Amino acid sequence: MTSAQDTRAGTTLPPGTEGDRPAQGARKQSWRDGVRRGDWRPALLFLSPWVVGFTVFTAWPVIYTGYLSLTDYDVLTAPSFVGLENYQRLVQDQDALRAMNNTMVYTVLQVPLYVVFSLMLALLLNQVVGRTAGIFRTVFFLPSMTPPVATGVLLLLLFNGQDGLLNEVLAWFGINGPNWTTDPFWIKPGLVLMSLLSVGGSVIILFAALRGVPQDLYDAAFVDGAGFWRRTWHVTIPMISGALFFVVVVNTIAALQSFTEAYTAFFGVGNTTYSNEAAELYAIHVFRQAFEFLHMGYASALAWLLFLVIMVITAVQVVVSRRLVFYEGGAR
Amino acid sequence: MRTRWTAMVAVAGVMGVAGCATGSGGSVEPVSGDDFAATATSDAPLTIMGFGLDDEVAQVRYDRAVEAVSGTDVKLSEGGLDMQQFLSAVAAGDVPALIRADRNQIGTLASRGAIRPVGDCLGQAGIDPSQFVGSAVGQVTFDDQIFGIPEFNTVQLTMANSDLLEKAGLTIEDVNGSDWDAVSQATEALHEESGGKLTVIGYDSKLPEFLPLWVHAIGGRMISEDGRTASLDSPEVEKALEWAVSIYDAQGGFGTVKAFRDSADFFGAGNQFASDSLGAMPMEQWYVNVLNEVSPDAPVVFDAVRGQDGEPVAYANGSAWAIPTASQNPAAACTFATEMVSLDSWMAAAKERATQREKDGLQFTGLLTGSTEADAQIREQLVKPSGEENWDGAVEAMYDANDHTFAFPANPADAEFRTAWQDAVNRVLNGQQEPAEALGDAQQKAQAALDSAWKKWDEQGR
Amino acid sequence: MTSPAPTSTESVTPTSAAEVSGPRSFRLRRRLSRAVVVVLLLAFSVLFSYPFVWLVSASLKPRSDVFDNRLVPKVATLDNYVSVWQEAPLALWIGNTLLVTVLAAAAVTVTSAMVAWAFAYYRFPGRNLLFGLVLSSMMLPGAVTMIPVFLIWDSLGQVDTLTPLWAGNLFGSAFYIFLLRQFFLGLPRELFEAATIDGAGHWQLFTRIALPLCRPALAVTLLFEFQAAWTDLMRPLIYLRDSSNFTIARGLKALLDQFGFGGEWHWEIVVTASVITTIPMIILFFLGQKHFVAGITTGGTKG
Repeated sequence: MTSAQDTRAGTTLPPGTEGDRPAQGARKQSWRDGVRRGDWRPALLFLSPWVVGFTVFTAWPVIYTGYLSLTDYDVLTAPSFVGLENYQRLVQDQDALRAMNNTMVYTVLQVPLYVVFSLMLALLLNQVVGRTAGIFRTVFFLPSMTPPVATGVLLLLLFNGQDGLLNEVLAWFGINGPNWTTDPFWIKPGLVLMSLLSVGGSVIILFAALRGVPQDLYDAAFVDGAGFWRRTWHVTIPMISGALFFVVVVNTIAALQSFTEAYTAFFGVGNTTYSNEAAELYAIHVFRQAFEFLHMGYASALAWLLFLVIMVITAVQVVVSRRLVFYEGGAR
Repeated sequence: MRTRWTAMVAVAGVMGVAGCATGSGGSVEPVSGDDFAATATSDAPLTIMGFGLDDEVAQVRYDRAVEAVSGTDVKLSEGGLDMQQFLSAVAAGDVPALIRADRNQIGTLASRGAIRPVGDCLGQAGIDPSQFVGSAVGQVTFDDQIFGIPEFNTVQLTMANSDLLEKAGLTIEDVNGSDWDAVSQATEALHEESGGKLTVIGYDSKLPEFLPLWVHAIGGRMISEDGRTASLDSPEVEKALEWAVSIYDAQGGFGTVKAFRDSADFFGAGNQFASDSLGAMPMEQWYVNVLNEVSPDAPVVFDAVRGQDGEPVAYANGSAWAIPTASQNPAAACTFATEMVSLDSWMAAAKERATQREKDGLQFTGLLTGSTEADAQIREQLVKPSGEENWDGAVEAMYDANDHTFAFPANPADAEFRTAWQDAVNRVLNGQQEPAEALGDAQQKAQAALDSAWKKWDEQGR
Repeated sequence: MTSPAPTSTESVTPTSAAEVSGPRSFRLRRRLSRAVVVVLLLAFSVLFSYPFVWLVSASLKPRSDVFDNRLVPKVATLDNYVSVWQEAPLALWIGNTLLVTVLAAAAVTVTSAMVAWAFAYYRFPGRNLLFGLVLSSMMLPGAVTMIPVFLIWDSLGQVDTLTPLWAGNLFGSAFYIFLLRQFFLGLPRELFEAATIDGAGHWQLFTRIALPLCRPALAVTLLFEFQAAWTDLMRPLIYLRDSSNFTIARGLKALLDQFGFGGEWHWEIVVTASVITTIPMIILFFLGQKHFVAGITTGGTKG
C-alpha cells in the first residue's frame, strides 16, 4: 500500500475515481488544465479543515436525521423504528403542503426583488466616494445589525394596516393600503417587503465585486458611446456575474429556509393572538412539529424533503449559471 | 402588536373542568417515594430551568428557597422554559433537577414520562393539594396523579371605559358578558368609524385566545374532563364562536379591529382606555397594574367576566414546578419547589411587593398565587383600599373571578389541540370558512392528535 | 480604486477622465444624474436607518412612552440605560461576546479562505461533487441538526462553555467558502503563472497573491461573521446555562423573558439593551467597511 493511496483513503473521493487520473471531460483550454497530475495533494491540504468539519458537523447530523426520520421520536423517550410511516404521513399532510406552498410563493416573490434591490443599492453605493461613502455603507447594513426581537415589533407597527407608516406613505399617492399584518392574502407580500430591509449583506458583497471591475473596461465602453444602462448591462453585470450568482444561490437557499422574520412576527413566544396559517412557512412548520408538538421523527422527514427540494433548485441554478457566469480566471 | 404579548398568559386556552378538580387521591408511586425524603441527600447540584429573577416577588421567594436547600449548589439558568434548550439537555442526558413550566405543558411532559408525580413530595412537605386553587390542580393532574406544583394564577376581568359607557347610556353590566345580546348592542352603540377608518372599538371579544371563556360562559366545553375527547364541534362552541365573530363583523371585520388594536400603545400612557378608543374588553388581571401605573386617571371601570347566570367566569392559567424523572437531585428539587410556594414565602414576597408599590406611590393590587390560603392572607393583611372606587373595584373583581375559575384538564397533546382550535378560529375570522365547517376540521385534527398521544400513554400500561 | 479627496461632501466619482471634459449639455446631464443618485441614496438611508433611530429614541423614553410613535421623545431620559446596567452584568456579557465573536470571525475567515482557494485554483477529481457537498451543508434546516450537533459538543464536555459558539468555525463555513471561491475565481490567471515561474510554492500563491487581492471579500467575511456571532441567539440559548457565561444576545433574551405570571413586559428595557448591543457592531462595521474597497486595482501584479 503506497502512501499515495493512504492519503487518498482519507479523502471523500467518490468510489471508482482514480485520484491521480486527469478528470474526464476536461473541456475548454483554461489555466487549470495545465495543472500537473497529483494536484490533489496540495488541494487536499487546503481542504483538510473542511473535510474534518463536514464529516463531524454535517455528514453525521444528516445521517442521524435521516435515521430519525424513520422513527417515532419525541426526544423525551427513546426513538422507536416505524419504517416509512413518517413519509407516508407526509404525502397526505395538508398542512405540510400548505406550508410548502407558502414557502414557494414567498421565495418566488422574494428572491428576484431582493437581488434586483441589492444590485440597485450596490450600484448607487458605487457612485459615491470619500468620507460619506462609509456612512452610507454602514447605514445600509444597519437593519441587519439590530436584534430581530426588537425590530420585529417595530416592523409590525410600520406595516400596521390601520395607521402604519407604510400605508400612510401609500396614502400620499392615493393608494389605499391593505392590512399587511392581518389579511391572509397580503401577509406574504408584507413579509417579503420586511425582508428587503435586511438586504445589507448582499449589497456589500455586490459592492465589493463592483470595486473589482477594471476601470479600463468602463473607459473603453464610454469611448464607444455606451450610456449608463448599456454599460451596466454589457460591462458591469458580466464582470460581477460571479458575485451575482452567489447572491442568487445563497438567497434562494435562505428564502426557502426563511424562518426568523415570520416566526418573530406571527408565532413567537406568547404570540398566540394570531398564529396565521398564511404566515406558516415550511421551516416554521418543521420547527413547530419538532419543538412545539414534539414530533422530532416526523420533523426530520419534513426536513429531508426540504433538503431535497433545495438541492434540486440549487442544482438547476448551478447548471444554468454555467452558461451565464463569466470568470476572469477562465471558464469553470 | 403589543396585544400579542398580552395574550401570553391567556394562551393556554384550555377549557373544561370547572374549579373543582380531584386531587391525586392516594395513588402512591412507590418508586419515587423515598426520593423526596429529607434523608435522601445528594451531592448533585440543583440545576433549574424555566425560572427568572424577574422582580421582587421572584427574588424574595428564590432567596428563601435557596436558603431551604442550603448546602446544595443551586444553578439557575435564567429565562423562561425554552423547549429547544430543555429537549437538547434531555437528549444529552443532562436533565435539569427542577423545571418551571407553563401549567398547560405539564400534561405533555407527564404523558411522555419526562416528569415524575409530585404527590409524595407534597406529602413530605406537609402540603395538602387542596390548598391550591382547584382548577390549577386540575391542570397539572394527569391520569389521576399530580405532576406539577402550581404557582401563580391568571384570570380575566371585564375592563371598560366608563366615559364611553356613560355617553352611550350604558353601564358595566351591559358589557360584562352576562347578556350577549346586550354586549352586541353595546358594541353597535360604542364603536365609531370616521372616513372608513375605525376610531373606537366598541367591544373586543378577544379572539382567538378567549374563545374558551365564551364557550364556558354558556356552559359548554371544548374537551372532556378526562382530557381524552375533544368536543370542538359541539353546539356551544359553535354558538360561542359565531357570537364572538359577530362582534368583529359589526365593526368592519376582524382584520380592521385587530390592526387598530395592534396600533394602540398598549403598555403606555396612550393605551386604549386613556385614549378613549375602546369601549370594553376582557383582559388578564395584571393589566390592571399597567393601567394603574401609566394612566391612573383613565376613566376605566372593572367587573368580572360573567356567564349567562350572572356568576363570574374565568379560566385559570399559570406556572407550575415540576421535577424531571431523571432529576439528579429530586430531594433538593422538592424542598426548593415547595418552599417557593409556601405560605411564608408568598407572604414575604407580597410584603416586599407592597412596600415597593408604596414607595413608588402606587397601589398594591394583590397577588394571585395559586394557593388559596396565601391569596386570602395577602388580601386580608396587605391589600388596602385606595379610596378610588374603580381601582378598588378591580381588586374586588379579580378575587371574585379567582374564586370561579375553570381550566382544561392536563392534556398530552396540548399544543396541537390549541393550534387546532386557534387555526379554526382564525380561518373563520379571515372569512375563509364558516364556523361549523372550521370547527369540524379542528375537531378531527385535535381528536387525531389526542388519540395518538393517549395511545402511547395507554400502551405503556401505566 | 481610490480617488482623490472629494470636493463636496456628496461628491460622485467622475467615472473616468473622459467624462470630465465634454460638451455643455453633457455636463448638465452628468449633474442631473448625480443629483438623482444623491437623492436616491438619501431616501434609502432614511429608510434603512429608521428602525435603529426608532430604537434609540424609544430607549430614551420612560416606560409609558415607548410606543407613542414620536421620533423625538417627549421626555428624554437616560434612566433606562442606568437600570439595564444595574439589572444585568452587561460588562461581563459584552466580554464573553467579544471573545466569541473575535474567535469565530478569525477562525472562519482563515479556514474558509483555505478551502475556497482549493476549490477555485486546483482541479482534482470529484471537485464539483465535493463543492456540491459544501453547498448542501447550507441546505439542511437547523431545527433538525441542532440536537445531533448538541450531542457532539456534549460528548466533548463542552456544554455550558463558550467553545461550541465558535469552535465549529475552525472547519470553515459553506457560506463563506462559496463567497470567497467566487472572488478567487475572478482573479486573472497570469498572476499565478508569473509567480509560479518565479518559483512560488502553493502556499505562497495563496498567501502572497490570492489573499491580498481578495481583501475586500475577506473583510466582508470577517465583518459578516462577527455580526452573525454577535447576534446569534440559538446556540447560546441551548449551550449556555450559567448566566456568567451568557453572551449579549442570550442575556437579552433572559431580560425579555422577564414576563412572568406576576409581571408584565418591559419593552423599555428590551429596546435599550438592543441599542447597547448594536452600537459596538456599528462602530466596528464603520471602521471595517473601508476595506470593502479594493486597495489595489486588480490587474497589477504584486508579490
